[in-house]
Amino acid sequence: MALTASDVTIRFGGVVAVNRMALDVLPGEIVGLIGPNGAGKTTFINCLSGTYRPNAGSALWGGDELIGLSPSALLRKGVARTFQNVASLHDLTVLDIAKLGASVRRDRRFGGHLLDFFRSERALEAALTESILAPLELTDVAHKPIQTLSYGRRKAVDLARALAGDPQLLLLDEPVAGLTSHEGMAMAKAVRDVRDRLGCAVIMVEHKMDVVMSTCDRIAVMAAGSKIFEGLPAAVQADAEVRRVYLGEP
Amino acid sequence: MTLALQLAVAGLATGSVYALIAIGVVLIFKCSGVVNFAQGAYAMVGAYVSYVLLRTGLPAIVAVLGSMAVLAVFGTLTERLVLRPMLKAPLVAVMMVTLGLLIVSRAACLIVWGPDQIAFPKVFPEGAISAAGIFITYNYVAAGVLALVLSLGFLAFYQFTPIGLQQRCAADNTRAALAIGIHVSNQVSLAWAMSAALAGLAGTLLATLNGLSLDLAGIGMIAFPVIVVGGLSSLAGALIAGLLLGMLQSFTDGLLTPALEEFLREHTSIYSVGALQQVVPYALLVLMLLFRPQGLFGRRGTERV
Repeated sequence: MALTASDVTIRFGGVVAVNRMALDVLPGEIVGLIGPNGAGKTTFINCLSGTYRPNAGSALWGGDELIGLSPSALLRKGVARTFQNVASLHDLTVLDIAKLGASVRRDRRFGGHLLDFFRSERALEAALTESILAPLELTDVAHKPIQTLSYGRRKAVDLARALAGDPQLLLLDEPVAGLTSHEGMAMAKAVRDVRDRLGCAVIMVEHKMDVVMSTCDRIAVMAAGSKIFEGLPAAVQADAEVRRVYLGEP
Repeated sequence: MTLALQLAVAGLATGSVYALIAIGVVLIFKCSGVVNFAQGAYAMVGAYVSYVLLRTGLPAIVAVLGSMAVLAVFGTLTERLVLRPMLKAPLVAVMMVTLGLLIVSRAACLIVWGPDQIAFPKVFPEGAISAAGIFITYNYVAAGVLALVLSLGFLAFYQFTPIGLQQRCAADNTRAALAIGIHVSNQVSLAWAMSAALAGLAGTLLATLNGLSLDLAGIGMIAFPVIVVGGLSSLAGALIAGLLLGMLQSFTDGLLTPALEEFLREHTSIYSVGALQQVVPYALLVLMLLFRPQGLFGRRGTERV
């Protein structure tokens, strides 16, 4: 399924944070969303993921309108996201969080929820550890509370949580910001791997240009709430306007 | 020694019923941040509903399950109709409302069933087990085992199942739970439903032991020493503290009170010390708050009320 977002506009008081933003993402494609601070990148992601309700616009996902749906409904449609800052959870372990990601995704009817009261998910643990935690190098901390991990590993847990739900549309908000370059590369590789494995569409907001260049198939540049450029990674670096507002002259 | 064993077994039986009620209080506290004073009302209403259903001639198991279902609805309604409109109100106000709910429920039961104690229909067979020199009626065995199994079952549910996991996440960090796609308001309703159903069962079990009366509403109060001892945020703590308190009460009643009375009669003109076992939990509550306010299993600084 492809995502077609058009005319997405959201205002906070007098500030137009996102202005008639449009973006198409095809299945199996990783689109990078870059731009200076305050350009509206995260706000746009928040509109798509049900955190904000935009004042106008639409986001069609295989014929379904995503805007106006709650995060829980979006997850059941296969739309998952990660967060720039990872929330604090005291009681849950890394594996717990991955299991949560899997359990909120399942769309159950006809008493499936009733079954969930009694089913142990021990069987799921091995599969999740192997397919989700191992590629993100989280196996050794699977049974540790997330609070004890470094910032980088917590972000990896957040990604693991999103991936555990087998997403078809993955929205990543600065997945490698604040990570060491080794962690960042592992994260970028994990994103590419999951794209190859699930064939999902990915939108990635990121500032680290080396990661963006090596990971994304296409790049959109935002500034002051609007899209100012869209094209292949190589073309972005050559564009004079993008250099002026974001990348800077060499 | 035999006496001690006898007292321990009786204490465990009532203690596991306390645990059932306290687990409900902790569950609600964890996900709504509210200390629910209406827990005693759930226990009392549960017992009366069981009574009504048993009187219609239903098999005991159906009647008890039916009463739990009615209480689950009652709990959900409390959450939807009382708690949810007060989402933005101060927590103290919400707690006062739950206290009001206790009073109103008690008054409603007074109107319907009157103030007198009612003999509760037989749920468990007559008779007693005697083993290792101790003697315990089926009533106590059944109530204790049932409450213990349900408490442990509930803890397992909370720890191992997908819904339990979502419950834990919603209780841990509401905003984060919302953001990662958990339907938090449904989880909160579910917590209230489960906790009311557990309290309803506990009330029914207590009624089989001590008869049915409005005093059952007071059992909610025993939950507070239990959760303070166990730690306000720990379900396992509530279970252990419930058992502990049940035993403590039983030992006070069987050993401490007679010894104390004998001593007093010898040296003073005081004849009786009264129902000392009812004082012990609250004395423990005060000591606990003085020396270890976070409880045995709670986290420090969980909540200041």
